[in-house]
Amino acid sequence: MDIASLRKPELTRRDFMKVAGMTAAYFGLSQALTPQIVQALEENNGKAAVIWLEGQSCTGCTESFLNNLEPTASSILLDTISLRYHETAMAASGHQAETALEETIAEGGYVLVIEGSIPLAEDGAFCTVAGRKFTDIVRDTARNAAAIICVGSCATYGGIPRSGPTDAVGYLFRGKELHHYFDDVGPKPVINLPTCPVHNERLTATIVHYLTFGTVPELDQYNRPYAFYGKIQHDNCTRRGNYETGRFVTDFGDPNQHGYCLILKGCKGPIARQDCWNRKWNNRGNYCIDAGHPCVACSEPDFYEDTSPLYAHDYDFGLPPL
Amino acid sequence: MTRIVVDPLTRIEGHLRIEVEVENGVITDAWSAGTMARGWEKILQGRDPWDAPYVTSRVCGVCEGVHTIASNQAIEDAFGIELTEAGRLMRNLFSAGYYVHDHFIHFYVLSALDFLDIMAIASYEGSDPGLLAVKSKIVGLVSAGDTSPFTPRYTPDEFSVNDPETVTTLVSHYLKAIELKAKSQKMLSYLTGIQPHPNALMPGGCTATPSVEVLQDLRKLWQEQADFVNNVYVPDVMAVGYGPLLPLAASGFGATNGNYLAFPMLPQGGSASAGDISFGGSNPMFRGGVVKANGERASRTDISNLTVEDVDYSQITESVTYSWYDYPAGVDALHPSEGVTDFNLQKQDAYSFLKAPRYNAETMEVGPLARGMVNQFPELVDFFNAGGREGVVARHLSRAVISKQIINDGLAWIDRLIEMRLAGPLVGMNEKPVPKTGRGMGVWDAPRGALGHWIEVDNWRIKNYQMVVPSTWNAGPRDENGVKGPYEQALIGAPVPDLDNPINVVRIIRSFDPCIACAVHLIDPHTNQRKVVKVA
Ligand code: SF4
Ligand code: SF4
Repeated sequence: MDIASLRKPELTRRDFMKVAGMTAAYFGLSQALTPQIVQALEENNGKAAVIWLEGQSCTGCTESFLNNLEPTASSILLDTISLRYHETAMAASGHQAETALEETIAEGGYVLVIEGSIPLAEDGAFCTVAGRKFTDIVRDTARNAAAIICVGSCATYGGIPRSGPTDAVGYLFRGKELHHYFDDVGPKPVINLPTCPVHNERLTATIVHYLTFGTVPELDQYNRPYAFYGKIQHDNCTRRGNYETGRFVTDFGDPNQHGYCLILKGCKGPIARQDCWNRKWNNRGNYCIDAGHPCVACSEPDFYEDTSPLYAHDYDFGLPPL
Repeated sequence: MTRIVVDPLTRIEGHLRIEVEVENGVITDAWSAGTMARGWEKILQGRDPWDAPYVTSRVCGVCEGVHTIASNQAIEDAFGIELTEAGRLMRNLFSAGYYVHDHFIHFYVLSALDFLDIMAIASYEGSDPGLLAVKSKIVGLVSAGDTSPFTPRYTPDEFSVNDPETVTTLVSHYLKAIELKAKSQKMLSYLTGIQPHPNALMPGGCTATPSVEVLQDLRKLWQEQADFVNNVYVPDVMAVGYGPLLPLAASGFGATNGNYLAFPMLPQGGSASAGDISFGGSNPMFRGGVVKANGERASRTDISNLTVEDVDYSQITESVTYSWYDYPAGVDALHPSEGVTDFNLQKQDAYSFLKAPRYNAETMEVGPLARGMVNQFPELVDFFNAGGREGVVARHLSRAVISKQIINDGLAWIDRLIEMRLAGPLVGMNEKPVPKTGRGMGVWDAPRGALGHWIEVDNWRIKNYQMVVPSTWNAGPRDENGVKGPYEQALIGAPVPDLDNPINVVRIIRSFDPCIACAVHLIDPHTNQRKVVKVA
């Protein structure tokens, strides 16, 4: 039987339509661009090479990426990208995994996704894979990458591990400051997608946007796309009315306080730039504040070192006193 | 004698390096080592205790919620908090739902590729439209010359399933499992805010206040998970366990020495009190216990009458003889509540960042098989009667059995929550202030096994925080008596006929579902250094 005739283009096309429609929607683009995105994906044969590195990660961002439902994560994995190296997903182990990585690097032009912080202390010895320091792996892989997407709080700004003893940083940033450790790689488009973990929709749409237009979306000073990180939680919060009228949660166990503003329980909404309030999490399932949990501003470079204690109201927002 | 290194050992959580010695095609010695550290306990020192569940969730994004739960329990124990019924139910439901998708993802996505000759799909000649779609997808990848992430891979051997119908079916379930995991995470986010990392599970219970409509949708999604587990996952595991993998199971492939330890989990009674091992002790769905080895490893042929002892938590210790840490002179082992983390990189013969946990001075396998042995699952008893033995296949089978019981029994908890919500607002939290001083222990049987958190509070701040996690129990090194850790025991005796194709090494290790980021979380704050692991 002719193997090629077994392909079902309409299945693939439908999947592409979903991906394209979603990307246009998430970036606030006109749906009229959908056919252009579909065409770009098809011309690619849907197979842009992706290398996904895990450093000091908890694998939560990988987990989050796999939570995509529209389109499903498996259709992204099989139809949209060619995932050449990903420790948690790939079949290969040991030398075979290493070879797959080396061959893709030699080809060049891939999208590099980094998950997990990068430990700089002791010349990078806190994280090694196959006997090589993670810092060296990042440098070698970044050099031939077409674009770099840092996912989650750790790979962007250092995240929680930044508070530990390993000098854990993101690819460009240590908290709010640029560390210049990888400057010798040369200038690369770097897109930061913080939150702990990364939001699956922000990531999927960013990959497809890049595959379609070959450019990065407009970024802020911390390399976050404005489309996702342009607005402040506190300005858009459904509990804002309660903030204004002084109805605050002071005891989580008091049912009369359900739905009240969480600022006295440490909510960092006034500094959190994101669209969680609109996008929600887990395919519109819920998100922190709707579940009665204060926003800890995991979208911010200050997280976690400068936003701890998470549940106490002692952050100076520069707001008028309550 | 030849030495083989598998690094990175993929399709697990974290960075793991396995080194084995092979003589005449059989593994004669083994070492396991984690190769990444973040310094978790040090991050927590001096912090507000309320931060601990959020922070320790991030120890691992795959078994995230179990750290949140153990951490909350430790704090509740130290603060003297009792959970409300709604708080217990919501926490249980989170844990139960998470357990189930974690187990079927482990089977289909992390492990199945070790046992499937995926290229057999090209020979599928049936007419099932769903399977034909899978075939066209995979064949499409082949014809486009790009089969990542399914290749490269180790070469299939005599234990690889290569029947086209079976392989195609299992790959279609691989794809379905990924989708159902995403749906499970949506369902769980109703209780936790976001998934992974269940933010809304806090000390004192759960801050979520789901409406009746949300709970009804949760029930619908739960039922879909139950259907998948009952009609797809459990039958698949039984079919391969009693079918092509039975000879492997009968050989005791990947068995440890036969000591098993499980902690209690999923309390079903009224509100639990802090005194009885946090809330895990109150009429748990799965009991805790200890089953001791009976001599030769994997020699049990009948497990219907095992002696199961109660867990004595004071018997848990950690040794550091072969780990890069020092204990005070003359001390071989310490209880985690008195744990010490002093790094020594120059230490002779040390080869791991993991400490070596022991129970009453013995190694313990923890995880699904331990839970099955301690709770004497009838399905496991049957499997032994059919010729199955301890080891790789029994671990997979136990996971399926656990998933089935949890997902089916959990429906009653949702119904109870709906009933309570109809009667008024759900009070999921019982909040207490941080005490000036206090100590607490939180235990839970995580999907990968016995998990314990210990907290010491002083001056309203965390003074000491210690975690003893499942992958440390299983992946830890030799102790002061030279007794090997469970991974090391399990590898010895396994056949490696082709040195370039050590597929049995990864099959054995993956059957434990390693979580190495959890296991390697300690680091010394003064030396800031890790030793490049060299195995003598
Ligand atoms: S402080 Fe937090 S909960 Fe209150 S209105 Fe602002 S963002 Fe919402
Ligand atoms: S709401 Fe706040 S804490 Fe929650 S994910 Fe968004 S930025 Fe992070």
